[in-house]
Amino acid sequence: MILLQMMRWTSLLPVLIILSSLIPALLIFATPENAARRRTILNLGGIVIKLCLVLLMLLGVSQGLRFRFEVDFLPGASLVLQGDALSLQFVTLSSILWLATTIYAIGYLQKSQLKSRFFGYFSLCVSATVGIALSGNLITFLLFFELLTLATFPLVVHRGTDAALKAGRLYLVYTLSGGTLLLMGVALLHSITGTSDFVPGGYVSGAVEENRFALMAAFALMIVGLGVKAALFPLHGWLPRAMVAPAPVSALLHAVAVVKAGAFGIIRVVYDVFGVETGIALGLTPVLMLAAAFTILYGSIQALRQTDIKRRLAFSTVSQVSYITLGVAMAGPTAAIGAVVHLVHQGLMKITLFFCAGNMAETLGIHRIQEMDGLGKRMPLTMSAFTVGALGMIGVPPIAGFFSKWYLGLGALESGNDAMLAVLIGSSILNAMYFMPLIYRGWFAQPPTAGWPEDNFKKSRFETHWMMLLPPLFTALLSLLAGIFAGSLASPLGWTEFIISQEFAL
Amino acid sequence: MNDALLSLVTPLVAALIVLTGPAMTPRRASVVVLLGSAFSLAAALLALQTVTASGATQTLNLGGWEDGLAIRLRLSPLSALLLAFTALIHLLAGLYARFSRFASGDDFWVLSAFLHTALAALWLSADLFNLYITLELIGLAAVAMVALSGPKAYQAAADYLLLSLAASMIYLLGVVFLYSEYHTLDVMQLASVSADSARTRLALALITAGLMLKGALWPLHLWLPAAHAGAPAAVSALLSAVVVKGPLFILWLVWTEVAPADLAREVGPMVATAGMIALVAGGWAAMRSPYIKVLVAYSTVAQLGYALMALGLLMSWQIPQMHIALWLFVIAHGLAKASLFMAAGEMQGTLGTRRLTGLRGATQTVPIAMFAFAVAGGSLIGLPPSGGFLAKWVLLEPILSQPQNWPWAFGILLGTLVSAAYIFRVVVLAFDRATINPPDTRPHLMGHWLALLPALIVWGMALLGEQLIGLLAGGGV
Repeated sequence: MILLQMMRWTSLLPVLIILSSLIPALLIFATPENAARRRTILNLGGIVIKLCLVLLMLLGVSQGLRFRFEVDFLPGASLVLQGDALSLQFVTLSSILWLATTIYAIGYLQKSQLKSRFFGYFSLCVSATVGIALSGNLITFLLFFELLTLATFPLVVHRGTDAALKAGRLYLVYTLSGGTLLLMGVALLHSITGTSDFVPGGYVSGAVEENRFALMAAFALMIVGLGVKAALFPLHGWLPRAMVAPAPVSALLHAVAVVKAGAFGIIRVVYDVFGVETGIALGLTPVLMLAAAFTILYGSIQALRQTDIKRRLAFSTVSQVSYITLGVAMAGPTAAIGAVVHLVHQGLMKITLFFCAGNMAETLGIHRIQEMDGLGKRMPLTMSAFTVGALGMIGVPPIAGFFSKWYLGLGALESGNDAMLAVLIGSSILNAMYFMPLIYRGWFAQPPTAGWPEDNFKKSRFETHWMMLLPPLFTALLSLLAGIFAGSLASPLGWTEFIISQEFAL
Repeated sequence: MNDALLSLVTPLVAALIVLTGPAMTPRRASVVVLLGSAFSLAAALLALQTVTASGATQTLNLGGWEDGLAIRLRLSPLSALLLAFTALIHLLAGLYARFSRFASGDDFWVLSAFLHTALAALWLSADLFNLYITLELIGLAAVAMVALSGPKAYQAAADYLLLSLAASMIYLLGVVFLYSEYHTLDVMQLASVSADSARTRLALALITAGLMLKGALWPLHLWLPAAHAGAPAAVSALLSAVVVKGPLFILWLVWTEVAPADLAREVGPMVATAGMIALVAGGWAAMRSPYIKVLVAYSTVAQLGYALMALGLLMSWQIPQMHIALWLFVIAHGLAKASLFMAAGEMQGTLGTRRLTGLRGATQTVPIAMFAFAVAGGSLIGLPPSGGFLAKWVLLEPILSQPQNWPWAFGILLGTLVSAAYIFRVVVLAFDRATINPPDTRPHLMGHWLALLPALIVWGMALLGEQLIGLLAGGGV
């Protein structure tokens, strides 16, 4: 069977997309520490190949082609990779942001050691993320979900200090427990309904009558397991602590890899395993919705209390990722558009913010919010990118974030959850309250008379190393473009409408 | 059957050549024994192929005597699989012992070949007295191998010897009771005549106690950490990977065939509970241990808990999935544990300390051995798609399908978390960059790679998942 599949390019393509970062990962591990050029070639080569393959698949899916690869694994549950519209949304996001983050990381880590190990795990982490996106059933999803935990752990503890190890332990406690619960949920569901491919509308509706309680237990186990990575309250404790990791890792963790893997899993479970109708029938979605709403407000309030830039951004992630869960749980097509598109929009904006925070820390030694006074004069480009990201998070048009909130708000009204509209508005006000002071200080406050805490990269032609400057400008531009061209099919919003029309059979 | 006998005899021949051959240096001995293991593995695989193709269990009465008089050997798909598994572990451990810089002792070769023979005989025996003899042979070979570490291991070896003899006596006493009741010791004949009586119960209790002591099954496991941690790495690998599985095999044989089904159903939950406690208590002890190899040894106690749980549930529910789960655990654990012990041996040899704290910075100082440790540990935790995951999945399915059985799933959940805790306790230390423990010597990479090999095989089990399950799905024997 495998040989037969090797002959068809539509079966091969999902595998190749994963291998395009997995093989470079293994080769990078074997690269000597000082062979910087070889490492860069492997990194960028892998990315270019992956982007080409993803583009090919995007074209194929929009033409109605099906991409599916299968190998035997467990009785009644093979390993399945498939490329559908939803998986491509996540694959494309990961691949593009992998490009930006890799370039950023090369600049960021120039003087540090153990680069081969770092970039090896970095590529492995992207492979796992792409694997999660392309998983065709729950078993495959579980496999890559656990692989992601293992691949990110060395990145979190990369600095190897006591604080890093402490954060790493906490990260493992949360994510491995989550993974175990997810396994239990998947196994439970498998024993009730078997494991079929993800299908729009789900595949459990036939078992609702007889196994009501068991289905609810399976749903709860899976959501709690996924919720750890998606940082749902009260499972978010690891996320702010994981900030000790190097900036590119935080960027990747917050924008693509870990938290998004959790959110993406929730989308899959609600839409393609249980199905919205079954979710409502079992009374599960309202509970999820309340949890998400609470997390949104809680994260925003916590963010407001932080004085450290990265920690404020971390709590902002807690809040923003739950927008996705909220949109999913509102169980209507419009809210769903808001949720799925926010997967991309939040990724673009949040990675911009983290890149900028990293630039401030590396260039001027700025870690605390008060230290940002007058930053716009010294680092205008970084500050501009930061402003775009922050305004987008608040929801100012025409930046991408506005469209997420617009659809989420419309969806709240459409699905009769008016209270959620209040949550969204409240959260936007809080967003403004915790981001505006940063923007104000950066542009309008006077720079400190005593000078900056540090001042690096003085000899650089730009305000900082060009490899660290380019990525935030690129992602800020993308978040602007995603908003401005929201009407075309090639934008995240257009593609999301295509996905949702399939999920809800509109 | 001929292939299976060949697989049994080859290591014996190798041992005899090593003992009697002229000018037998340890180097030559290693070549002979390694060739013997490889040949034995090939024969076992052939036997496996024939027995699964024919689909029937084959028996052989030694010397052509009729049933009841003869010593009967029996080849089932399971015993063929275990033959292959034993030969594979011996081959892997032998390769490691041959190429690692840390010596296993010159007598390792002949002893390991004897051990291999005795184990192969155990898998093929279907007679309680015959099984007793194989148990004794295994015990003697194992004790001698523990003593290969030199004087510091003599105490552990002596304790192991005494306990092993006591356990055999208890087992033998139970066998005598059975004989006085039924006048046969042939497993298949016993299966057809055994009934629930006071004497049968007493016999089974004695047999079970003896086997649990020998197999280090909770709560009779206390001798294991000292013996397994004290031995040379290659020996520890053999002891944990295959030796403790011998008594488990007999226990399984006794409770699924000899014991009356109703009695087995009654005792099953107790066995499964012991397994659950073993999982948590063994894991807890591993988590608290300050020494690398003691941690790994306690992890054996914990992991045998999974097997015990599968056995207990097999006894009480009598469903084939538990049979599959039991043997998948045995195989996955054997491979993973071999890797863990070899990696632990390499690390403590290179870093010059037996303490866990010596592993600070091991990802930089001994990266490959540490990677082997983590990969093998992943299978013990049961991360997909390793062999450990496969076994856990098969165990979970029947448990989860009935809500009244969910408490057992809770035990598995706890077991998984505890395993993750003790494995990652080591891994986290290895990522320390602030206070790195410098190695005493340059790492000898060959040994590190060989330590990784069994771990890679256990993860490769995923590719054979369906075949293995199908092979074991034939039911009991």
